[in-house]
Amino acid sequence: MENKDYKTIKRVRWTITRVLELLLVLAWIFPLVWMVITSLKLESEVVTREFTFLPSNPTLANYIKAFTSTYILKWLLNSLYISTFTMVLTIAVDAPIAYALAKIHFKGREVLFWLVMAGMMVPFQVLIVPLYQQFNSYGMINSLAAAALPRVALPIGIFILKQFFEGIPDALEEAAFIDGANRFTIFARIILPLGKAAITTVVILSFINAWNDFLWPLIIINDSVKYTITVGIANFQGTHGTQYSLIMAGAVVASLPQLIFFLIFRRKIIDGIAMTGIKG
Amino acid sequence: MGIPGNKDLRDGILFSLPFMIIFALFMIFPLVFGLIISFYKWDILSSPSFIGLKNYLDLFKDEKFYSSLWHTLEFVLITTPVLLFLGFVMALMVTGKSPLKGLMETVFFVPYIFSMTVVSTLWAWLMQKDFGFFNQVIKLCGGTGVSWLTSEKNAMWSVSLATFWWTAGFNMVLFTAGIKQISKEIYESAVVDGASYLQQVFHITIPLVSSTTVLCLILQVIASFNVFGQVYVMTGGGPAGSTRVLVQYIYEAGFKYFKMGYSAAMSYILFLIIMIISVLQYVLLGKKKD
Repeated sequence: MENKDYKTIKRVRWTITRVLELLLVLAWIFPLVWMVITSLKLESEVVTREFTFLPSNPTLANYIKAFTSTYILKWLLNSLYISTFTMVLTIAVDAPIAYALAKIHFKGREVLFWLVMAGMMVPFQVLIVPLYQQFNSYGMINSLAAAALPRVALPIGIFILKQFFEGIPDALEEAAFIDGANRFTIFARIILPLGKAAITTVVILSFINAWNDFLWPLIIINDSVKYTITVGIANFQGTHGTQYSLIMAGAVVASLPQLIFFLIFRRKIIDGIAMTGIKG
Repeated sequence: MGIPGNKDLRDGILFSLPFMIIFALFMIFPLVFGLIISFYKWDILSSPSFIGLKNYLDLFKDEKFYSSLWHTLEFVLITTPVLLFLGFVMALMVTGKSPLKGLMETVFFVPYIFSMTVVSTLWAWLMQKDFGFFNQVIKLCGGTGVSWLTSEKNAMWSVSLATFWWTAGFNMVLFTAGIKQISKEIYESAVVDGASYLQQVFHITIPLVSSTTVLCLILQVIASFNVFGQVYVMTGGGPAGSTRVLVQYIYEAGFKYFKMGYSAAMSYILFLIIMIISVLQYVLLGKKKD
């Protein structure tokens, strides 16, 4: 009898907890839902005191307007270009040094490692004035390469890769050495293939970082055709002031690539961030 | 490794070189160059002239610098504890026994992948005074609309609210990783001893994730000190400069008023503050753990 009561209480409590969790999930996702709902409404339905929840006449007019009367497609392509550029160069410079730090016992390795880690501490805004002057003197203001270059060396990427490479057994390398392989073959044939998981993580993180970058592209690019999507959307607010449904349509378009990226690589992205947290 | 004939030093340098070139060009050089600029009066029109410490001395007489510094501090003090708490509670939820934990992990994390500008424009719209969702709902319930972003009293809190939603998921991931490293047996034996859920949280989970907490704290304080985008997009630093943060002032001094030297000096002060606080946290919290 008592046992049965206990079970009922337990079941009720279980149900209430799940309902609360579900409500929290819905509340957390709601802003994103609202972004989509707003983007499907006519401007006249948005800027009115008569509040409607769902669009009474769902329309794609805002999306059409976003693509035809703004540079949004161009901005997306610019961001894609910058992020890809950053991603490729990041892995090209991070992987070799991470290998050196993990596996090659050379003099100065410790110092080098601390130098790289110290780089992680430098807040980017310390660099903006000198970097701007630097790129100005190269005649690279308004160039997409200038928007990407300072973001290339990702110290956190080195950290992740180094941790992973350290886990690859030395015996594999030693065997290859005995067979007459040199460092470069070992790196290309053993380390890179075995480090695929960590490399994917760094590739994804550097892509997302570059895609979301704001301050630097805001400074280095003044020409509105060359904006990245983040800067373009931020400027929407200024140029399209109260056209909220248009702004939200722009925000949806701007977020789609990331959302797709996230849905494909969800586990990799989350694990990548977790990896930076473990044993920091 | 003791392989005869291998050239460790040469290989070490060769493999490090590509990174070091980029690092030297876009980190070390501008870091030094910026420090030099900070001793110069440098605007767009005139050529730079050396003025020693004047930029730094001027800073300490600048109202705007103090108010920006204070707003930054305010943001750090508001967001750090809340984001640590939220991240931890979310991590508890997604590492528990709930059948919804996979869904919760995804949903809590998903705002983080959206870019800051999307998050900021979205929340500026939700908080819009006349037609925004929050005020429409408040009015439907018979209340009067809140000036989320247009009153000096609320603006910083509103920006913080958007930030909670945007970045709590990041801390959740770090805490989740920490919690997953705790061995199940500890909990099992606690359950055998009759420990309640809250007792387990307070006596097992919290003490055993303390290194994650320290890491989160340090990362969070640094991130919050560097706040810029949310404020810039949501309030533009207003109303009446009440949300202008240090990074925004650095940006404006350099690229709106073209006082490059002054801007550089200010960025070094911010750098110094962040460094001191990070080192302090590291030393104090690191010691406590031993």
